[in-house]
Amino acid sequence: MVQLRSHVAAGDVTADVLSELSAALETAPIEPDFLCVFYGCMHDDEAIWAFVRDRFPDAAILGGTSCGGVMSENGLGGEHSIGLLLVEDPDGDYGTAAVRLQGNAADCAERALHDALEAAGCAGELPELIWIYQAPGQEEAVIDGLRRVVGDRCPIIGGSSADNEVAGDWSQLGPEGLMRDGLVVGVLFSSGGIGFAFQGGYEPSGASGVVTRVGFDAAGESGIVTKAWGRQIISIDGEPAAEVYNRWLGGVLGEKMTAGSNILTDTTMFPVGVDVGKIEGITHYLLIHPDRVLEDGVLSTFAAVEEGTRLFSMRGNKSNLVERAGKVATAAISMLPGGSSSLAGGLVIYCAGCMLAVGNEMPNVSRAVSASFDGAPFLGCFTFGEQGAILGRNAHGNLMISAIAFGK
Amino acid sequence: MRMEDSEELREALVNLRRELDILRIETTHANLLLSALDALLGANDDDDDPFKGVFAALMPVFEYEHAIVLIERGDGCEALECVASNHEALIGSAWPTDRLLQKALSGRILSTVAGSGTDTWPSGFDPEISCDQPALYFPLAVRGSRGAVILLRRLGQSGFDRSHVALARKFSLLASHAFAARQASLTQAESHRLKDLARKLEASQEALRFRANHDQLTGLPNRAYVGEIVDQMIGRKQWGEQLALAFIDLDEFKRVNDVHGHAVGDRLLQEIARRVKAEIRRNDVFGRISGDEFVIVLDPVGGQSDVAQIVERILNSIRQPLSVEGTEIRPSASIGIAFYPEHGQDYETLRRRADLAMYQAKTSAKGSLSFFTRDLGQEVDDRLVLEQRVKEAVAAGEFRCALQQKINIRTGCVVGFEALARWVDAAGVVHSPGHFLPTASRLGLLDEISAQVMEDLLQNLPALDAGFGPTIRYSINVSPAQTTSVPFMQKLLRRLSESGRAGRFILELTEESFAATGLFQTHVLPALRNAGVAISIDDFGSGYSSLAKLAELTVDELKLDRSLVSSIHRRPRNQIVLRAVESLGAALNMSIVAEGIETDEENRYLLEQTCIAIGQGFLHHRPQLLADLLGR
Repeated sequence: MVQLRSHVAAGDVTADVLSELSAALETAPIEPDFLCVFYGCMHDDEAIWAFVRDRFPDAAILGGTSCGGVMSENGLGGEHSIGLLLVEDPDGDYGTAAVRLQGNAADCAERALHDALEAAGCAGELPELIWIYQAPGQEEAVIDGLRRVVGDRCPIIGGSSADNEVAGDWSQLGPEGLMRDGLVVGVLFSSGGIGFAFQGGYEPSGASGVVTRVGFDAAGESGIVTKAWGRQIISIDGEPAAEVYNRWLGGVLGEKMTAGSNILTDTTMFPVGVDVGKIEGITHYLLIHPDRVLEDGVLSTFAAVEEGTRLFSMRGNKSNLVERAGKVATAAISMLPGGSSSLAGGLVIYCAGCMLAVGNEMPNVSRAVSASFDGAPFLGCFTFGEQGAILGRNAHGNLMISAIAFGK
Repeated sequence: MRMEDSEELREALVNLRRELDILRIETTHANLLLSALDALLGANDDDDDPFKGVFAALMPVFEYEHAIVLIERGDGCEALECVASNHEALIGSAWPTDRLLQKALSGRILSTVAGSGTDTWPSGFDPEISCDQPALYFPLAVRGSRGAVILLRRLGQSGFDRSHVALARKFSLLASHAFAARQASLTQAESHRLKDLARKLEASQEALRFRANHDQLTGLPNRAYVGEIVDQMIGRKQWGEQLALAFIDLDEFKRVNDVHGHAVGDRLLQEIARRVKAEIRRNDVFGRISGDEFVIVLDPVGGQSDVAQIVERILNSIRQPLSVEGTEIRPSASIGIAFYPEHGQDYETLRRRADLAMYQAKTSAKGSLSFFTRDLGQEVDDRLVLEQRVKEAVAAGEFRCALQQKINIRTGCVVGFEALARWVDAAGVVHSPGHFLPTASRLGLLDEISAQVMEDLLQNLPALDAGFGPTIRYSINVSPAQTTSVPFMQKLLRRLSESGRAGRFILELTEESFAATGLFQTHVLPALRNAGVAISIDDFGSGYSSLAKLAELTVDELKLDRSLVSSIHRRPRNQIVLRAVESLGAALNMSIVAEGIETDEENRYLLEQTCIAIGQGFLHHRPQLLADLLGR
């Protein structure tokens, strides 16, 4: 029997919030085998780590910072919130492991996955689901490393830890403590079954072009990964990428076309997408969020693009982004072996970019998810990149929404 | 139903695909389980190896190289004994109960990835087996003792996934029962129970097959199944025999859904299905192939007139009013018909051609029927040629601005112009929008055409000012899709502002645009207002005509749809509507423009019976290209 509880508290002083959480935990105690903890970046994360370590010494722990705090079945927690999701499943197996993403990120991820399986007592077994939380920047390599072990045989769902200002104030929390440049891998072998979904809420707006040159923004020590794959789009159809992109947007970037400009908020409704496959002739897209304009019209993005890829100009709107969260949760629930009646609760990852775009309608997002979860406990975090399985393939994208549902 | 919202379409397809995948997997699983169970129950004497049949049944789905059945020996020995395998050398071998086997014995189903750490398997077999091979473990309980099955794939083959784990879970339970029954020499009661189980499985398989082949809402054959049936029917046809395929599309179904909700739409579809079923003959096939599209295959058929008779009967039946939850709906459908073998030799071709004929029917008169003809096929070819030409014309910048005067019908003074798009091809032939706009819209070229027309107008503004004065205002048409596209509207506004004459422009938006104005109102309208651009509702009275929206929006001008103005002098009901709109306009401080004034009588009525001052129409001025208007 799987049981979930979520607890969210908020306040300026971390110790006070933790006291409040501690008191809440006493009201309906369960012994979690798996614990997720997400929090606003201004909190004292060392204190949070000490709290969860002391309080749940036997649980597999995974968490990190979330842009603007967390949400749960009780609504948005606010940017000073800390949220816990407790999963009690005596017949299941759960394990987490952490690694700093130094050197080859794919190797790091592969190692962490084996460690997490070992920690779950399931070395060599295919988990039902892999749940990851990491520092932004090397998500594609991380997915590659994990896929070396499991391929696309099990879903890899997760998010990239986020702060409030894209200032690097993020952290990741694993079984051995905190990291700023790390990856936490969780492996889930639930006794009640798990459903999952990973979707975006954007549509192509008509324009498209082929990426003719990419560069790589050296992150960590790895420097250039390949010439043909990276997060800096130098040109589209032979023209400076930012100019083409700005044209697709009807020139909305205006004076921000100068080098170094942050365009994150201007582009949340107008990301680019790549074709990830077709169902009945209808194309499905993985979204990529342009974040800055660099020298010579280079466009920097939050996900890597390969040379030769056709990029599609995408368009979103608020109401879709609000409704989509609930639909993703519903899709995850529908995958549970026992259907919605067996739902114990869930986890939701909502892109921080979407959150910025939705703005003051965010309460409707948490309401939509709550309605889909029908009041069951859930915890939601807001991230700078999302990972999930789209059309059967594990991938990293932006402006996406993921949900996982636990069966009882 | 034409789904305008591709997100909705994408989602519907994903859900359908998911549901179909689940059905397909469940059907495959049910088949496999039945075969495996049959193999176990059907082996009659002790010499039969029940696992031979089981292994054969499992192979197509699990695609394993080796299957190994291990049982606890029960003599205090820790190791398990291999009692069956398709790798005969393994039979009788002893297997230490390592961690993974221990888990399988306790009921877990597990698929391996590299690094399981298992290295206690027996060795020395030919061919050798390796614990590095992708493996699937599942329990197999035998009365009194526990056991496990290991399925091994070849090295390098991909491992077992979630669906294999799910199937192994089902098989494990059933096989354990069956195996236990055999070991106990099949008591009658157990045999009966298992046979009962097998019957239930067969029934559920039948139900699954029905679900996979039929539309759940109406119970009719679905698209894939209709195609299958029709191709089979065609396959049985002798030379000279024919059949007819009728393609039915409900008229205005989207509006029913939008206005009354999906529950009413669903109820309508069910009722249409019931009515059509009542009209067709026993051997005819009737299916629902998507949203509001149905197909009937009439077989046998005589000539066109026989078919027309049946289809007319169906149309009449569909037309009967229907009351759903207190709402009266007057359904209608358009039907296109194609014949085998004359119009196609397979289902897909026949369906496509009947679909074309249906469009023909819908275009000429909703609620009618139309037969496919070779000319219609030619029209499609013509359409393709036109598409290519329009693309080339856009690339060559062949779109120009034509202006039609808006005049004060009381003074005769020109007060403004409406900008209209014209395509002037390389040969100098001027094409009207009716010729190219639908195609351009379908191809997503409207924005580019609007830009070319706009540029033509802006470049000639100084000359126009010189000719008509600097107070003349220019109306620009904006399509609903453009209205809700923030980048398009921002670009348009920027271009107008750059001209330094933004306050001289009026944007004409249709009522449809206002049905979904979220982005427009929040992102575009304030900027338009700041720049001094005026807003007009075009074709008012032909669309939603939502008074609520009218009250919500601050609009400067209402352009009455030509259908209201046409023959106004002898249409008393239109006169009443016109008076109401006029007073509405006065109350909301909106200027009223009468469009489509084509006769003296219409003009006189407006002058004598209304206070409307601004008019537009062929009576006063026919649109002219700028060069003609400026006398160049």
